[in-house]
Amino acid sequence: MRKFLLVTGVLCLAVVFSLGGAVLAQDEVTLQLWGASSGEAENRALEEQVAAFEEANPGIKVEITFSPEYETTLQTAFASGEYPNVFYVPQARIAEYASSGVLDTAEGKLTDPEDIYPSLAEVFTVDGTFYCPPKDFSILGLEFNRALFDEAGVEYPTADWTWEDLQSAAQAITDATGTPGLVISADLDRWMAFYVQAGGELYNEDGEWVFGEGDNFDAAVQALELWRSMREAGTLVTPAEVGAGWNGEAFGNGAAAMTVEGNWVIQFLLDTYPDLDWGVVPLPAGPAGEGTLTFTVCLAVGADNAYPEESWALVDFLTGPEGSRMTAETGFGPAPARASTADLWLEARGEEYSAFVDAAADAVAPILPVGFTAFRDTLNGNIQQVIDGSMTPEEAIEDAVSVAQDLLDE
Amino acid sequence: MSESLTSPLVTPQRVTTQADRRRQEALTGFGFIAPALTILIVFLVIPLIAAGYFSLTDWNGITPLTREDAYQFVGLRNYERLLIEDGIRQERFFTAVKNTVYYVLGVVPTQTFFALILAVIVNQRWLRAKDFFRTAFYFPSITSSVVISLIFMFLFSSNGLVNQFLHSIFPGYRDVTWLNDPNGIIHNFLGLFGITRASVGDWASTEIASIRLWDWISGPSVTMLMIMMLNVWTTIGTMMVIYLAALQNIPGQVYEAAVVDGANAIQIFRHITVPLLRPTTFFVVTVGLIGAFQVFDQIFVISNGGPANTTLTIAYLVYASGFTDNRMGQAAATAAVLFVIIFTFTLLQRRIVGEQAIE
Repeated sequence: MRKFLLVTGVLCLAVVFSLGGAVLAQDEVTLQLWGASSGEAENRALEEQVAAFEEANPGIKVEITFSPEYETTLQTAFASGEYPNVFYVPQARIAEYASSGVLDTAEGKLTDPEDIYPSLAEVFTVDGTFYCPPKDFSILGLEFNRALFDEAGVEYPTADWTWEDLQSAAQAITDATGTPGLVISADLDRWMAFYVQAGGELYNEDGEWVFGEGDNFDAAVQALELWRSMREAGTLVTPAEVGAGWNGEAFGNGAAAMTVEGNWVIQFLLDTYPDLDWGVVPLPAGPAGEGTLTFTVCLAVGADNAYPEESWALVDFLTGPEGSRMTAETGFGPAPARASTADLWLEARGEEYSAFVDAAADAVAPILPVGFTAFRDTLNGNIQQVIDGSMTPEEAIEDAVSVAQDLLDE
Repeated sequence: MSESLTSPLVTPQRVTTQADRRRQEALTGFGFIAPALTILIVFLVIPLIAAGYFSLTDWNGITPLTREDAYQFVGLRNYERLLIEDGIRQERFFTAVKNTVYYVLGVVPTQTFFALILAVIVNQRWLRAKDFFRTAFYFPSITSSVVISLIFMFLFSSNGLVNQFLHSIFPGYRDVTWLNDPNGIIHNFLGLFGITRASVGDWASTEIASIRLWDWISGPSVTMLMIMMLNVWTTIGTMMVIYLAALQNIPGQVYEAAVVDGANAIQIFRHITVPLLRPTTFFVVTVGLIGAFQVFDQIFVISNGGPANTTLTIAYLVYASGFTDNRMGQAAATAAVLFVIIFTFTLLQRRIVGEQAIE
């Protein structure tokens, strides 16, 4: 028995010492960089950029960790107080993280910050403080399948399409080929683009949430009515209905002639459906003109950080002129967040993808106020129910607005 | 032990008293349970206390706990919002309660019933390839729930095998979007007779706990029904094995006596097998109930609580409030309420089935 206790004790001590030893003295600085990953292509792109940084900055090593449940993992790290030096922050999370005090501010720490698209820099500015530079961005475009358009004898979409053009082309294709014109997920990350095209706003000039209030109510109803009427005409389907996990997959399978997706779809379609003949144009204009959504991620530096200088050096490299050039030339799809590198990206990708950068300056980031998960769930559910015909557009928006009001009153 | 003490053959080198031995034994005992005890304390007792503690705070789950201003005490505010105060928190919580109750009512009786039937079948002497069937039925239980969920998503996708199969049997069948259909099955059934919210009158729009009466009686949504089928299928195996072990413990003489008395197979099953399995049924139902109330992973993989919140269960709501809504305090309060619900149901169940079973 004594022997057993002795052995257990020794083992415990050994574990404690080995854990302690691992964090003892290091002769060079090692930065922890955490990121979410969409796949191999994105991992490779980041690894190349980090390798270039390490080469330019001897004495700084960077350890990259990609985690699949990224936000959950990062949040538990924040809670413990032991979180990485540098990490991705998705646009939806910026306000929460900033107000929780886990982000260092980016003011005065970046090379040539005016070059970053102001619309993107604004996304990561909370209460007047700029927290983190965007690493890249994607905007929504209208992807179309050339073979299905040819089969139906419909002309390809153009940059000056309107909602009516979208409806009539979708109708002609559905009638001629039996394949639905448009596949789109019943999700506010797509639908808000139509809301914006109808003249809707998310925030007013004072930064207050005004979705669905006043004139915005009509805009929201119009945008939903477009989807409802296309649904009624049989020209709009959701990915689930055609057995796909998301729009890109449904479009790639040829389950519909058009879809609405962002830059990430480029590499996916090229890799997964190399034979698909497709093109992309800006989203059609609504009653209030053009409008699209932008999705971006920034690289933030942690507030509790042993190496703030080295961390900012890394962030400045990855999002600065050099990193942007690499994102443009060897990246995996999303465009660099610096206006000066837009042409490089087009050159590397091809002129035919210009829809993905042209609207960059005035695309809207669909960011909800902090704690609006219930609103997101409600509106997504309501959009689905409008499509199913079990709710009218007016009811759907009224309900969503009242949920938003409840949340704001809390 | 005590015999050896009195044995004349033992000549102790030093005097060992009874008390010394007891202490020695206690120490050895603790030594043996120490690993399990440590794990229990670290991963169960401490988190349980921590969750109770945080349910009284407004911690957002992000601000490092190492900071002084990470959270403030808000007393029972979180519980009040969930249970009493009209509003979005109450609506979400009771939507989750509604969904979970339909889920439990559907899953627990079904899986218990089929597990018993399967156990009786694979226990028959005349059955050939018994081992094959036992393995086949048990297999889903030991497979990862994530893998099974993915396979079910594949099977139930709109052009998946299930829809194709239904097509081949019923030519007029209209594809069901299993993975994304928020319509309640009771609503669908009533709809067949033309009964809708509009047609039943105003009472249906009365709200109880922020949810319309009409919505309370929706039944599980089509997507939830699919998740229920999945879970019944995976859990049956475990329950079947438990029943099988119990069946093999029933002495053969009882059956022989019954046969001598002229009982037929159905009578034997109803009056001998089922009553003798009562303690097992109690166990199976209790374990099933607890598992069903805590359903999470399949929903996390398949539906994330959607469509239209119809697969939002209490356990998923805990996760969503803590990690997507950044209300860790609220999440902890929800978890505490879930604990009370499970505890109450288990006690209730013990009252109903248990008392005779335990005798």
